Amino acid sequence: MSNYAIAINVQQRPEVLERVLRVVRHRGFNITNLAMQLNDNNTSSIDMSLQSDRAIELLTNQINKLIDVLDCQVLAGQTNKTTESAKG
Amino acid sequence: MEQGQMIRGADAVIKAIAAHGVTTVFGYPGGAIMPIYDALYGSPVEHLLSRHEQGAAFAAVGYARASGKTGVCFATSGPGATNLITSLADALLDSVPVVAITGQVSTAVIGTDAFQEIDVLGMSLSCTKHSFMVTSVEELVPTLYQAFEIAASGRPGPVLVDIPKDIQIALMEYKTPLQAALPEPEHTPSQIDAAKALLAESKQPMLYVGGGVGMASAVEPLRQFIAATGIPSVATLKGLGAISYETPGYLGMLGMHGSKAANLAVQQCDLLIVVGARFDDRVTGRLASFAENAKVLHLDIDAAELGKLRMPEVAIAGDLRQILPALSQPMQIADWQAEVATLKVQHQWRYDRPGELIYAPAMLNRLAQKLPQDSVVACDVGQHQMWVAQHMYFRRPEDHLSSAGLGTMGFGLPAAIGAKVARPNAAVVAVSGDGSFMMNVQELTTIKRKRLPVKILLVDNQKLGMVKQWQQLFFEERYSETDLSDNPDFVKMASAFDIPGRNITQASEVEAGLDEMLNSEGPFLLHVSIDDAHNVWPLVPPGASNQDMMDEMEKQT
Repeated sequence: MSNYAIAINVQQRPEVLERVLRVVRHRGFNITNLAMQLNDNNTSSIDMSLQSDRAIELLTNQINKLIDVLDCQVLAGQTNKTTESAKG
Repeated sequence: MEQGQMIRGADAVIKAIAAHGVTTVFGYPGGAIMPIYDALYGSPVEHLLSRHEQGAAFAAVGYARASGKTGVCFATSGPGATNLITSLADALLDSVPVVAITGQVSTAVIGTDAFQEIDVLGMSLSCTKHSFMVTSVEELVPTLYQAFEIAASGRPGPVLVDIPKDIQIALMEYKTPLQAALPEPEHTPSQIDAAKALLAESKQPMLYVGGGVGMASAVEPLRQFIAATGIPSVATLKGLGAISYETPGYLGMLGMHGSKAANLAVQQCDLLIVVGARFDDRVTGRLASFAENAKVLHLDIDAAELGKLRMPEVAIAGDLRQILPALSQPMQIADWQAEVATLKVQHQWRYDRPGELIYAPAMLNRLAQKLPQDSVVACDVGQHQMWVAQHMYFRRPEDHLSSAGLGTMGFGLPAAIGAKVARPNAAVVAVSGDGSFMMNVQELTTIKRKRLPVKILLVDNQKLGMVKQWQQLFFEERYSETDLSDNPDFVKMASAFDIPGRNITQASEVEAGLDEMLNSEGPFLLHVSIDDAHNVWPLVPPGASNQDMMDEMEKQT
């Protein structure tokens, strides 16, 4: 099990947090800490700490595909597994 | 309408749809979408009434897949919207551009458990590429434009727009929005160089071609790439048609029910060039031993597919129409080509099965030979679907509509209806099974309503055949709930919808039966009774590697 932290910037929409959380759960990641902040420019910042057996790219690649996501970054120093892919 | 340029939101919906070149929508009216149906009345946009919203959305999928255009469907709130969900999920897994428009209860009562209210936006999150609920009439038209752009751009997919009834009747001024094209990934010169280096060092390359080629309109560039390099190839279920079946080195479908030659060649290759495909489990068998000794060059428009299941040596996210020509180079692979040609001959399909009864693979191969150039085959899900994939051949990916990712029984008939609307001059055949056919059988009324000349080839073994096959092979012949011998009289049922039909049971009747179906003027049902002992072969058993295929002879010993 690896620990990760990611920072996501999103276009503010009523359902945007739901969208992000659904992807996190469905792709096999558990949230251990979560903070969301509405910014002045109609965007929101979502910071979350995660646990999973899977490589973080499997999640960030999917989060980046969400239309309302402006960017998604793995916070430096938090990635300890970068290349292993999910094996079913 | 006397206030100059002010129109209702509902009228703007129809106008925005027409502005995207959509001439026919599929749907079913109801309370919360009545203003939109009122705007439709007398408008230049045609509407095909389905008899279940799932049928409407599958028709939109069939329309989109057969034409490459975006399909549009309408449904009302509550049950209308929930009935769309399966088809939207199907479109998501097969990357089909569809815009679904649902009516919603008025803004003021959203969240009060109003009549026919359900949280459609919430439901849509897991089965669409994106979705919207429109919260003001001003954002209605820009949202629709955005929906069309998202549905068709990048890796296509379904987009849902939920429109409350008060917004449909609110007055507004229609302004064409400036919808910028969404950014697409682009390849870099260094990626091309790295890919070319992989190609240059490979002695045994294989192309693994998926549905992304057709969706990217990259069929011609792919065929030119194959002609220039001579690289042998296999296709996924959705990739069928991208490569002409006569192409040297083309071994047909790979995977669980692929050809033995295709699977063996992929297992032996030293470089797997994955084009618009995604290492689906039905393709790879046991993932860890899939093309075990091969390096991987993965090309796709969706960067999230690169490295998702198999780490590629080189991955390029971008437009296949540009990448493939950039990679073209002559290859020195004559020995490998000869090896692949030998595999192809060793494992070719045989249709000389003895017996009086109808052998479905031979019948479907005969159907492929008889179909005109411009034709579409839509199939359902199960044994007949795999026989279609194995034994028919297709000129283009748009000519073969199959629910690949979601595997949705009930797909075939409504998809064929949508295909016929999109390509009225094409011969359209729905190949179905007796299980699948009953799942959207109400759409026979849609055929009747418009006298759509859709041909239906119903392959009937009075079983839920694919499940029965697995029970036979892997569940000790415990045939739990797969006997369908209480099926209705299908020919009699079709006649109730004014669709003529015939039942055939003998191999000697196949020729005349197919001719009668194809030469009939209107719709026709050819009901084909087959032996329920026939299974789909060969087969990669669950958990096995692709080189370890079971075939029929092995099973009988």
